[in-house]
Amino acid sequence: MQQISRLSRTDWFGPLLATVLAIAIIGSLSKNFLSPYNIQILLLAIAVNALIAFAQMIIIAIGQMNLSVGAIGGLAAISFAGMMEVWGLPALPAALLALVIGLLCGVLNGVLVRITGISAFVITLATLSIYKGINLGITEAQPFYGVPAAVKAFGAATILGPIPWLLAPTIAATVALWYMLRRLPVGRFILAVGSNDHAAGLSGISVGATVVIAHGISGFLAALAGILVVARLQIGQPSIGDDWLILSFAAPVIGGAVLAGGHVSVTATALGVVIVAIITQALVLFSIDPFLVQVVLGALILAAVGLNKLRARDTAKGSL
Amino acid sequence: MTPIFEAKGIQKAFPGVMALKGVTLSLLPGSVHALLGENGAGKSTLIKVITGVHQPTAGTLLLDGQQAQFHNPRDAIAKGIGVVHQERNLFPRFSVAENIFLEQIGSSYLTPVDYARLNREARRWLDALELDIDPATPVSELSVARMQLVEIAKALSLQSRVLLLDEPTASLTTSETDRLFQIVRRLRDDGTSLVFVSHKLEEVQEICDRVTVLRDGANACDSRSMEGVTRHDLVQMMIGRAEGEGAWRARDTSAQPEVLGLSGVSTELGHRDVSLSVRKGEIVGLYGLVGAGRTELAKSILGQSAVTGGEVRVDGKPVRIRSVFEAIHTHGLGYVSEDRKTEGLILQHSVLANAGVPIWRKLGGALGTLTDGKIRDAVLPYLRKLEVKTPSLAQTAANLSGGNQQKISVAKWLAAGVRLLIVDEPSVGIDIKTKAYLHELLRELADNGTSILLITSDLPEMIAVADRIVVMDGYRVTGELPNTGEYDSVSRAVMDRIHDMGEVG
Amino acid sequence: MTLQDATYSSGTDDSPLGPRTGLSRSRFFLSNEFGLILLIAIFAIIFGFATKGFFSPFNLFALGRNSAVNIMIGLSMMSVIVTGGLNLAVGAMGVCAAMVCGWMIESLGIPWPLAIAGGLAFGALLGWINGWTVVRTGLHSFIITLATMSIFFGVMIFLTKAEAFRELPPVFTEFGRARVLGYVSPLLLVTLVVAVLLAWLYRGTVLGREMLAAGASPAAAELSGIRVGRMVILCHMLSGALAGIAALMLVARNGAAIPSMAGQLGQDWLLPAFLGPVLGGTLLQGGKVSVLGTVLGAFLVTMLTSGLLMLQIGAFWVQSFLGLMLLVAVLLDKARRSYLARRNLA
Repeated sequence: MQQISRLSRTDWFGPLLATVLAIAIIGSLSKNFLSPYNIQILLLAIAVNALIAFAQMIIIAIGQMNLSVGAIGGLAAISFAGMMEVWGLPALPAALLALVIGLLCGVLNGVLVRITGISAFVITLATLSIYKGINLGITEAQPFYGVPAAVKAFGAATILGPIPWLLAPTIAATVALWYMLRRLPVGRFILAVGSNDHAAGLSGISVGATVVIAHGISGFLAALAGILVVARLQIGQPSIGDDWLILSFAAPVIGGAVLAGGHVSVTATALGVVIVAIITQALVLFSIDPFLVQVVLGALILAAVGLNKLRARDTAKGSL
Repeated sequence: MTPIFEAKGIQKAFPGVMALKGVTLSLLPGSVHALLGENGAGKSTLIKVITGVHQPTAGTLLLDGQQAQFHNPRDAIAKGIGVVHQERNLFPRFSVAENIFLEQIGSSYLTPVDYARLNREARRWLDALELDIDPATPVSELSVARMQLVEIAKALSLQSRVLLLDEPTASLTTSETDRLFQIVRRLRDDGTSLVFVSHKLEEVQEICDRVTVLRDGANACDSRSMEGVTRHDLVQMMIGRAEGEGAWRARDTSAQPEVLGLSGVSTELGHRDVSLSVRKGEIVGLYGLVGAGRTELAKSILGQSAVTGGEVRVDGKPVRIRSVFEAIHTHGLGYVSEDRKTEGLILQHSVLANAGVPIWRKLGGALGTLTDGKIRDAVLPYLRKLEVKTPSLAQTAANLSGGNQQKISVAKWLAAGVRLLIVDEPSVGIDIKTKAYLHELLRELADNGTSILLITSDLPEMIAVADRIVVMDGYRVTGELPNTGEYDSVSRAVMDRIHDMGEVG
Repeated sequence: MTLQDATYSSGTDDSPLGPRTGLSRSRFFLSNEFGLILLIAIFAIIFGFATKGFFSPFNLFALGRNSAVNIMIGLSMMSVIVTGGLNLAVGAMGVCAAMVCGWMIESLGIPWPLAIAGGLAFGALLGWINGWTVVRTGLHSFIITLATMSIFFGVMIFLTKAEAFRELPPVFTEFGRARVLGYVSPLLLVTLVVAVLLAWLYRGTVLGREMLAAGASPAAAELSGIRVGRMVILCHMLSGALAGIAALMLVARNGAAIPSMAGQLGQDWLLPAFLGPVLGGTLLQGGKVSVLGTVLGAFLVTMLTSGLLMLQIGAFWVQSFLGLMLLVAVLLDKARRSYLARRNLA
């Protein structure tokens, strides 16, 4: 009994239960759901969406928000494709440069938030517009089609059975983030600043540096997501990232992230991504209007924040 | 004995205010030093100067006789000056061990944290405090008292030679306080120099051997021995005059009808069987220690939290007040909050806006139109009467002094013409002159027929103003007594009623 | 408004200097509104010289018509910012209101004035949903309206099958094309009337003052007898109705109620919605509002967009300019405030 109550208090238990239930129910209703082809589609969606969610999660951890996740991802995506098509760069250097661009965009967000003291909401709204504008200015809203065959092959290849190669960078990022937030001082600082920046300062943590680092990581992850999308779509679409905003908040919130900062869970966020992907996929399988996916996403966010609120109240009562 | 730490002639100026006007403090090793003073006397500013949060405008700090300068809190920590602040500075989701050692982790970004080592070392400091907690426990699972002790462990882990405790007992029960005091004594015996800040004079007399009192940013007494110092002496030094003298006068309201009555009231906040009654024109004092449930009772009466049992009467008729809106507009009850800055005033709005809030609805014309002129006509007489000093009515409330802010939060209720005013800790953070003025004002209001329920932890204030005193402890009423205006007898009687309860519970 | 307060801080009660003279004039020149007027004038001159036909009646007409919509979107956001909250769903709510209006006309055959009222009421209803959820859950409106943006828009697209209502009575298009005095769009007049009403609401009515008080300090407002929850809900309802007006203006301009007129999920409105209030000096923390500032801010943005397009800078770069402008504006505002604070403390 105590075991269960302890489990129920962890962040990942609820989402895990929901994931298993969803798989069981949808799997029993539709034979196609667990077909290799379908699983591959599911994993492809998870590969990209997890990175998008982590890009937001790391900013939620410091108690801020980043509206420009999608714009950074889009800019990195078209930079990646553009550098390969226009400058003829090989895939690897192009990808590295795109990651650097994402990192710099994130760092710029962090620096602006820090030195101006203006809320991250306004700053990232402004930079969202700037990054997106640069994207449109470069592409004039036309996609880059000249993605090299190697990248296309990477986007379509599978490691084993239905597991796509695209999942590899995501898994690496997941493990790295998990390790950082658990074990590395920098991860602990991020959580400490999000929990109480005043106290963090008194404990000798450089709050400014921590904020900038978190935004840098966010930009990097968004860029990585953008690159993966290019590999998957096989073209550099300027519209990549346009619909990431809700996606980026849904999974961390489902994973129990506290929007006020200081508490996020990599595992639970990853499970949040899985839940969103499964439900989206199920709607497609049952040929339900794809526009209802948006409704479901919104409802999921509302349900999750409501549940988190209840859970917080319960634990507060429990400790009395 | 030579002092371990000295502050000499410390001055600290803030824009427009001289917070410290040349304060002196000297700490001996192996002693517990009380730092006393009313709110606003400069205690917290002094603590911030000593711990490197503020730089002094003038004066010197000496550590072991050597001049020392602290540019930031880390400097002070490095020199062995630890502090447990009044507000919690812990990270609830981090483990006890990590909270204790966050400073030490802070030197590197990428060296993995060795939690096993952290837990081992934390054990040492927890043992020193006889704290039986697993160092890996998240702080959020601890009681408030234990969190306090973790903060002390954190300060100890820095091997502090000087340890400042700012209101450490504010959230502790009696037995927890006793535990803390045992620890304080042991640290003292080991040669640590402790500074103890508290409003509870009984505790100060119990634990401290030396005392410094601040008043109005200056020393009322400077690092003297506690020997032979009575409670009365301390209070006199803190407030600068013999308490309660001359101000009180007997007022008889026994013939007046009851305005507010509670019979056996219990609330969702935990009050049980609370009964009290306030007559027209009467000043009833509601005394109790911090956490006795007085403010919470006030808010329950006003309808902010639910009354779950018993009867609330207004003008003798049973009522059910569901919202503050009803309390004000239907029943004529007003509340002057103890928390002026977040509950009493809308700081970023003008004096005029603040003074008029409760009467906007009354003044509103057709379609709810309302002009500044109308509000000005309604509130100006009261602002004048209370002598609110402001360059203009358009002045932002945040820019006024504490005393003037308090006058505005009283004036708005006068303008609203409430029949019963609940006044919660009215003199916190305001100067002595304004305080005396406020007391006179409360009496005058009562003389004119307004009933007043006065909540204060300041016993001299209570005895100077109230007609009758109701004592609360642990969310219950533990007694009631008439006020005779004589400090010694009344204070003893009040204390008896609190202690009785403590023994029963 | 904030400026006025900041300048007064020189004269605290025991200040030896006493009230300073000459501050009131410099107060206006340092105000946000004056800065915006100055910028509008400067850019008008630049565009007047640099482009052909910036002051042509047609361009002025188009400018007025576009700014009418942008100002209204800004006002819609402003009315929620008053509470210290945000409304990410402005676009989604506006489009939903317009679609309801179109549906009432086309499918139910309801006369257009009633349909317009119905559309606006529906916008207010969506606002009520937002406000009620925010008040009941105690969560920040950011996350609530993020979710409802998705829900409102998704349901709308599902129900309309993403198809527009094009068979509207000609009165819509006529209104959109009409010109008063040769080059003023009646849409702009509608917006200005709404702006004046809002200014009156916040300055001259009990309701508006209570909204501001509730936004500035919920705890203090509650204890002074203001029903804060109700105020928050009303602010969200107002926002929904104003978003509805903005969307109906777009309907008049396009001659049809199109589901995609505010972009995917209505997100295209987000930037203009924040640009107006933020440039206009409305505090995101709530409790202070400048209707004139919002109007001027939104107008400046519209004018810049139009001017930049006419300068052939490349339509695609315009968005970057707007973002940059938002950034520069908040930085300048920050600098202005700290300058005023320093001057007063010195």
